[in-house]
Amino acid sequence: MAKHHPSNDLLMEYAAGSLPIAQAACISAHLSYCDRCRRTYDQLQTVGGTMLERLEPVPVSETLLDTVLARLEDPAPLAYSGQTEASEIPGLLERLINKDFGQLMWKRVTRALSVSYLSTGDIQHEFALLRIAAGGRIPEHTHGGNEMTLVLEGGFSDGRDSYHPGDFIFRSSDDTHAPVALDGEDCICLTVLDAPLRFTSWQHRWLNPFLKLRAG
Amino acid sequence: MVENKSGDESNSGRNSGKWAVPTGRRTDEWSECLVLIGNSNDRASFTRFFRHFAPLIKAFALAGSSLSAAHADELVQEVMLKVWQKASGFNPEKAAASTWIYTIARNCRTDMFRRLQKFDTPLAADDLNIELEGEEPFTVLHTRRGSDRIKDLMGQLPPDQAQILAKVYMEGKSHSEAAAELDLPLGTVKSRVRLAIQKLQVQMDRQ
Ligand SMILES: [Zn+2]
Repeated sequence: MAKHHPSNDLLMEYAAGSLPIAQAACISAHLSYCDRCRRTYDQLQTVGGTMLERLEPVPVSETLLDTVLARLEDPAPLAYSGQTEASEIPGLLERLINKDFGQLMWKRVTRALSVSYLSTGDIQHEFALLRIAAGGRIPEHTHGGNEMTLVLEGGFSDGRDSYHPGDFIFRSSDDTHAPVALDGEDCICLTVLDAPLRFTSWQHRWLNPFLKLRAG
Repeated sequence: MVENKSGDESNSGRNSGKWAVPTGRRTDEWSECLVLIGNSNDRASFTRFFRHFAPLIKAFALAGSSLSAAHADELVQEVMLKVWQKASGFNPEKAAASTWIYTIARNCRTDMFRRLQKFDTPLAADDLNIELEGEEPFTVLHTRRGSDRIKDLMGQLPPDQAQILAKVYMEGKSHSEAAAELDLPLGTVKSRVRLAIQKLQVQMDRQ
C-alpha cells in the first residue's frame, strides 16, 4: 500500500478534470495502486455530481432528443479494454508503453540512469520513465518546474524517506534532491516534469502546436 | 453490444456477484431509472432520464462560456449516447446517477476541448478512469454515506466557497485559473476550497 500520496488539491483538480493530461495520467496511475486516494476521489467526484444537479437547467430542443433516440442503436465506439491480466503496470501506462518496459528505447544519461520519453501529446509536460540501476545514484539536481514522480518498480531513497511501488512524490522547483535506488532491483519511476515553456491560460492548456515530446 | 442486455438477465444474473453486499442500493428515482435502461434497454426510461439530465448537461457545457451553443448540443448528444451504451455498467451501490453522469460529461467535455484544439493525444479522457472490480463492502458503504452527506451539505456552503467550487467543477478551471478570473490570490482560492471540502465533510483520510 502506498505511503506517499498526491495532495488533496491535486486530487480535486483531477476529479474536476482540470489537470493537464500528463499530470492526470500520473495521478490516475497512482489511484490504481491506492485505495485511500480512490475513496477520496470518489467523494470528490460526488461533489461534481451534486453540483451538476444544482445547475440552472438550460432547455434542450425536442429535435435533439429525437436525434439521440434515432442513434441509440448505432454501434458503440470501440473502447480500450483496460488492463491485461496479471500485469503489475497500471493499465494506461501499459497502453502508452506498448506492453512492457523491456521494449522501450532507453536513452542512457549516466551510468546509473536511463530515460525513456513517452508521448501523451501534452507539450507543457515531459512524461518519461526513469530507470535507475540498483543502488545507483542520480546526481543532486533541481528542476525548472514542478515534478511528479510515481514509483513503478523497485524503490529509491532520498535521504528523507524511502519510496516503493505506488508511492507518489510531488516536488516544487526549488527542491533539491539526490535520489538513490534501493539495492537489489532496478528502480523504474514515472516522472512528469513541467516543461520550461509554460502556458497557463485556459485557452492554451489545450493547445498543441506541432511539437511533440520525443517519442519513446 | 446489445444482446446481453435482454430481459431475462435483469436484476440478478451478471450483477449478483458484485452487488450482493447488504449495504442497500440507491433507490432514488434516477438511479433506478438508469438501472432500467441498463437492464432492459428501456427507451421510455431513457427518455425520462434525457429530459431530466440533458438540460443540466447543456448547462454544464455552457458553464464558463467555454463552448458554443452548437457544441453544447453536440456534447449533450455524446453524453446521452454514452449513457445508453454504458448504463449496464452502472452500479447503484457505488455511485449516485448524478455522479456517474457527471464523470461521463466531464470526460466528454475534455475530449471535445482537445478535439477542438486539435490536441493530438493517444489517450482519451476515459482511459484515465480507474474502474476496479470487487471493492470491499466497507468501502462501498463508506463512499455511499459520504455522498449522501455531501448532497445534504452542499446547499449550506457560503456563496464565496460555492463560487469557487463551481469554477473548478463546472467550468473545469484549475485553482490558479480560478484565482486569476476572480482576481483573488491563489492562497485565498486554495483556502476557500479547503474550507468547502471540510464543510462537505469529504473524508480526506489525512491532514
Ligand atoms: Zn494515495
